[in-house]
Amino acid sequence: MRIACGAPGRGLILFLCIVLLPLTAVSAGNDRSKERLAMVTEQIVARGVKDPVTLAAMREVPRHRFVPLVQAASAYDDRPLPIGHGQTISQPFIVAYMTETIQPGPGKKILEIGTGSGYQAAILAAAGAEVYSIEIIPALADSATQRLRKLGYAAVRTRAADGYYGWAEHAPFDAIIVTAATEFVPPPLIEQLKDGGLMIVPVGSPFFMQTLMLVQKTGETTTSTSLMPVRFVPFQRAE
Amino acid sequence: MTIAAGLCSRRHLALALISVALLAFQISLLQLLATSQWHDFAYFVISIALLGFGAAGTILSLNRTWMVERQELLLPLLLCIAAVALAVSPWLTQALFGGFDSLLLFVEPGEMLRLAVVAFLLMLPFFFGALAIGLIFTIETEKIGGYYFANMFGSGIGSMLGLLGLAWMLPQQIPPFCALLALTAGAVLLTEGRKIMLAVMLLALSLVAAVMVKPTQLHLSQYKDLSRILDLPEAMIVAHRPAAAGQIHIVASPALRSAAGVSLNWSGPIPGTRAVFVNGDMVGTLPPLAETDNPRDASTYALPYAIRTPNNVLVLNAGTGAAVAQALDLGTGTVVAVEPHGPLTETLATNAPNRFGLLLTNPRVDWQTVAPRTWLARDRQSYDLIVMPDVGSFGGNAGLFALHEQPLLTREALRSAWKKLTPQGLLTITSWVDYPVRNPLRLLASLVETLEAAGVVDPIYHIAAIRSWGTITFCVKRTPFTTHELHNIRAFVERWAFDPLLLADLRPEERQRYNRLQDDSLFVLFDSLLDEEREALYRDYAFRVWPVSDDQPFFSQFLRWNRLDAMTELYGQQTLPFLELGMLVAGLAALILAALAALLILLPLTRLPRQERHGWKTLLYFGGLGIGYMWTELAMIHRLVFYLGQPVYAAALVVGVMLAGSAIGSALTGRFTVLRPRRFAALVAGTLLLYASLLTPLLQASLPLPFPARIILAVLLLFPPAVLMGMPFPIGLRLLNRLHPIEVPWAFGINGCFSVVGAAMATLIAVEVGYSLLLVLAACAYLVSVGGRFREMSGVREYDR
Repeated sequence: MRIACGAPGRGLILFLCIVLLPLTAVSAGNDRSKERLAMVTEQIVARGVKDPVTLAAMREVPRHRFVPLVQAASAYDDRPLPIGHGQTISQPFIVAYMTETIQPGPGKKILEIGTGSGYQAAILAAAGAEVYSIEIIPALADSATQRLRKLGYAAVRTRAADGYYGWAEHAPFDAIIVTAATEFVPPPLIEQLKDGGLMIVPVGSPFFMQTLMLVQKTGETTTSTSLMPVRFVPFQRAE
Repeated sequence: MTIAAGLCSRRHLALALISVALLAFQISLLQLLATSQWHDFAYFVISIALLGFGAAGTILSLNRTWMVERQELLLPLLLCIAAVALAVSPWLTQALFGGFDSLLLFVEPGEMLRLAVVAFLLMLPFFFGALAIGLIFTIETEKIGGYYFANMFGSGIGSMLGLLGLAWMLPQQIPPFCALLALTAGAVLLTEGRKIMLAVMLLALSLVAAVMVKPTQLHLSQYKDLSRILDLPEAMIVAHRPAAAGQIHIVASPALRSAAGVSLNWSGPIPGTRAVFVNGDMVGTLPPLAETDNPRDASTYALPYAIRTPNNVLVLNAGTGAAVAQALDLGTGTVVAVEPHGPLTETLATNAPNRFGLLLTNPRVDWQTVAPRTWLARDRQSYDLIVMPDVGSFGGNAGLFALHEQPLLTREALRSAWKKLTPQGLLTITSWVDYPVRNPLRLLASLVETLEAAGVVDPIYHIAAIRSWGTITFCVKRTPFTTHELHNIRAFVERWAFDPLLLADLRPEERQRYNRLQDDSLFVLFDSLLDEEREALYRDYAFRVWPVSDDQPFFSQFLRWNRLDAMTELYGQQTLPFLELGMLVAGLAALILAALAALLILLPLTRLPRQERHGWKTLLYFGGLGIGYMWTELAMIHRLVFYLGQPVYAAALVVGVMLAGSAIGSALTGRFTVLRPRRFAALVAGTLLLYASLLTPLLQASLPLPFPARIILAVLLLFPPAVLMGMPFPIGLRLLNRLHPIEVPWAFGINGCFSVVGAAMATLIAVEVGYSLLLVLAACAYLVSVGGRFREMSGVREYDR
């Protein structure tokens, strides 16, 4: 049994998570829930992510099912992992941080650019959002779609297409989450963002995502805020 | 007599042919690895070749008598096997083990084993070729001079043929031709009545022919730019051209667009484009058609044109012409575009006539095919604007460029550019913002020190910098920015929602109106570089951010080993992203090669008895020679990358000349009746010390010379130390043979092993201490090595008299 996206209310999700997680562990034989709980406590909560919906989703979604078999043993390590085609599944903390930043929940319509393994889309769905996800690499799009269906996230709408154009039929979106680093923010995506909407974009090397950018659209003005998940101020100017 | 003479000349020919084959193969491997992995990784080919030679030396030492007795059969057989290995080993590494990916070394433990297997396979042609060469040398000790010459001549020709081959063929197409040469060498040595050997050769020939007809497909790292772009839907290679300076690919895909760092306020379309690659690394995208709006004009790159419209512009590393097109779009009178890669310019002109071809034929543009540093040294014009190439890359490069030399970003290069500005001239350079901040800091430090070196008392009046969400563009002006110019800058940033970062009259509240940061550390760091705290920042910051010099031109190497503990404490398991992966990959590869060297060169020798009392002296002497030689060779290669503009030219020239020179030096020692190792060591060390102090200034001074003149000068400079460095090894062997013959095989093995390790470590050491000091260390290695056996050798000298 899995919680599909669009579940009614965060409290219910939390409740279901608590009740159903042990059941899935039994049915799946080894769903590695202990590792997942440790991941959330040691890597995510310890670094300051507090949003209960995000944390519940991170506890629920079986990350090891989203990585290639050769990487399965490392699925809950505190680092990104390669998924082929030069792409990675982000470090768990980054996934949680991005999720918390855009505050997904029931009634929120979220566009994801860069489905990759499908893990981020599954987290957003588990958090109750209505998720639309686009992947430009057909092979990744196919495998992610199948995986999401198999794991019970069939409500995530996916398609293999160029993320530059967004998904105009379902616009505007409350939030857009770009999981693949990009050297520019496509104007169509800004257009498809609701007034007051948020877009989160990673900025960093393809292999080691290091910082995130939050794009905010307010009327005609679009601004950016650099979000640094890890603070780094080792040199301080003498007073 | 006639048969013996004939055999002798055939051996000369065979030796020359196999030497040609091995050197050409080595040159092709350089580009093969540079394309499938990355540029600096390619230097491990040198270590791999040495590993093959070292292992062959060991086997020969252990089985000398047996092999000499069977020379007639063995020589053609070994050359035949070498031919098969030459053709098949790259095929095996690509087809069977092509999944090796240097970046995965840190996440998949199996990659270490895969790298070791790849190194082993690529070593095989050198191993079998070297066995044949060594056997000929062993048989013909009495006439060694002529054979050294054949070896030297062949090596020189091989270097040139390797380069020529790369100009016309893909690197993976060259090994079968090298194999044919090796096979011919084997056929030359075939004696009558060897029908089985003839059959073996025909079999080998058919194998080589098969690889020639169907060469292996190059398996690129999935993290190479080219791999990533080819994953896009409907992506296709529309042009592919081999070139010695790096093979060229042009890729088209409907999903390909480029607008580096464009403003979030840009609402126009991002036009489609084509991406251009050299050795699999993206060098840029084609500029948009002239009639379309160019999003680059809404990026920080347009800052200098917002300040004032220049009459003439110099674009360094013009590449695909994006900066040239922008200069023309924004009203510049004339543009000088400098691009060192001639075939790239030709390919773009042919394949993109509407985008690039029009730039090339535009009467306002003067294209120069020359290395930018050479142009800066040679050109006599002054410019209103000089556009330097970008610093860093979008999203960073995971530190892979840590070992990459960037001669345009050194103190000396910036000073040269500064001198070419008109009184109102601007120098502009854009950096991608990284985190933690490193590239923009080092860039600002370099610019500030350039200004100070030019006598500017207060640099802030001469520097303007603006920031978008992802880029920082600097403009440095010869004279202080005027009020009108400062006004223009503010109008530009307001229009495109950028933020000023450095201006003479900047107010703190202006710094993050549109692109906010989580804290003000960037501003603190920037301000520190402009005041008396700069030295403290250099000293205390977690990364190296002081400017780099021509002697140590590693702009992207920021790692400070003594700060690793603090970094680990700060980031825990997240330390890796903040390290320079290039350094770590190189270090890991060096470890693997050292392990292979110990396994293949030294371990077999343990079968032999040793004289414990003298063992360490042999180690010191022959180990020191191995390390000293390779540190010198690698230092010379890197120095000449800057001088000749292309790594593959530098590698081919240095390897060829050093081999030739050393072979002559070695042959000359055969005529010495008195052995004076101390004198030779002092001579080598003295020469290297002289080069350590004079080489860089000499190369800088002669940079304006035409390319052929620079080649000749480089050969003349390399030859004397190469000849001298060829002497200590044979002298040492002769002495050892008289004093402790039981140690001779060990001497070969130790020298080979230390050569492999020395070559693998050379670049890592140069990054830390610079090339001049690497040469000094090489000199020290020579001195130490002779010190190890000094007393005994003095005794032998007396004995010789």
